[in-house]
Amino acid sequence: MSQTPGHGGDQKPGKLKILADYIQSTDAWKSFFRTGYPDSLLKRMAVMRSSFVMHILPTKVGVHGLKLGYTWCMGGITLFLFLMLTLTGVILMFYYVPEEHRAFTDMKDLKFMVPYGMIMRNMHRWTAHAMVFSVIVHMARVFYTGSYKPPRQFNWVVGVILLKLTLLLSFTGYLLPWDQLGFWAVTVGTNMASATPLVGYEGPFSEFLGIRVDNDIRFAIIGGTRIGPNALIRAYVWHCVGLPLIASGLMVFHFWRVRKDGFSGPL
Amino acid sequence: MAEEVSGAPGDAPSRRKFFLITGWSSLGLFLAGAGAAFAKYFYPGVLYEPQTTFNAGKPSDFVKPANPNETIVDERFKKSQRVWIMRNTNGIYVMVAVCTHLGCTPNWFPGEQRFKCPCHGSNYNTQGEVVAGPAPLPLFRAKLSIAPDGSMIVTTGLLGIKRAELQYKKGVLLPRWTDEEKKDIAKAPYFLELKA
Ligand code: FES
Repeated sequence: MSQTPGHGGDQKPGKLKILADYIQSTDAWKSFFRTGYPDSLLKRMAVMRSSFVMHILPTKVGVHGLKLGYTWCMGGITLFLFLMLTLTGVILMFYYVPEEHRAFTDMKDLKFMVPYGMIMRNMHRWTAHAMVFSVIVHMARVFYTGSYKPPRQFNWVVGVILLKLTLLLSFTGYLLPWDQLGFWAVTVGTNMASATPLVGYEGPFSEFLGIRVDNDIRFAIIGGTRIGPNALIRAYVWHCVGLPLIASGLMVFHFWRVRKDGFSGPL
Repeated sequence: MAEEVSGAPGDAPSRRKFFLITGWSSLGLFLAGAGAAFAKYFYPGVLYEPQTTFNAGKPSDFVKPANPNETIVDERFKKSQRVWIMRNTNGIYVMVAVCTHLGCTPNWFPGEQRFKCPCHGSNYNTQGEVVAGPAPLPLFRAKLSIAPDGSMIVTTGLLGIKRAELQYKKGVLLPRWTDEEKKDIAKAPYFLELKA
């Protein structure tokens, strides 16, 4: 406990300190952490700048940026919820098979037969609801504090795309239980796509492009002319792989921009 | 060199500019092709969907109503084929059980002689005309033909129905049949006239 290396110069180095020094001098340690113990301002700065975990944090933060009441931490909470969803989602994937005769029973098994399956499913579900909420609150905060203004305007655009991806992730998850609620919700939701101008078979001007029910945008979304097994597997792949990948890429960019632009000033 | 890159006005494009243009446009072409191929990937060439043509049995399998104003709605094919077989005193027609609003399945309420959609409350009469709710079009009619053995062949699917043809008719699409459309749906292939 009293072994606080690097502090108090007249302290005799103990065995732990020698061991710690040795570990920190190894190549493996250096390749991970790059700098020694941050006992000078310069080294602290270097830790912040070079560590993968730390480097999205700015080296300097304005006092107002640290006030909880200013940001409500909603962006951070959103990221946390996204990570939670990834974790619980992967856990659910061990049991759930996106096949029309299995999907619903697999989900019921998760709820009633699998140890802790119910809590995993409910965590996934409620976390998803919470994420939609936190994204919207985060955006409201950004809007009301004027943080979308130049030079951050482009990051606002990225944020709007991330909002849409959040909603699409919720929507694609809706079909997966293959129950009446999800089935009809997705029927209704994807039928809206058929009214898309030009590329939807019921949309305006579609006849100019020769768009029919079996080659329009809705067809590409559900992989057929009706909600069936193709729609289920498509929703599954978009939900578990496609959309999270796109969202992750944009999030990395989003956070990097936040760091580069710094926090906006108080109102 | 700099002059060569930009090229004096009127000069033929320099060799460097030519390579630049060629290089970028081939890259652009490649990316466009790759993008188109990726988009095309989402359009499967074959579907394993239920048949949209089925045999609905003999016309005599469907009960004729006593009252000329009455229509009997037969729901035996609702689950498997998503259609109702409608029998009135003049003949038989087939209505597709897909709400024209956003595609839910309406339910038949014999007491009120209405189809009601559970999703957003569209109501239809036995002609499929919208009497309430947001639906923009009457219920679709499936095509009906008679096989050599006298049984009825029904063609559903969004390609073989009245609404698909309506798409290409200019002018307003109404929740009720227009007089012209009424004449249309009262004859083959949307109506099977049965004497006596
Ligand atoms: S889908 Fe039938 S009323 Fe909306």
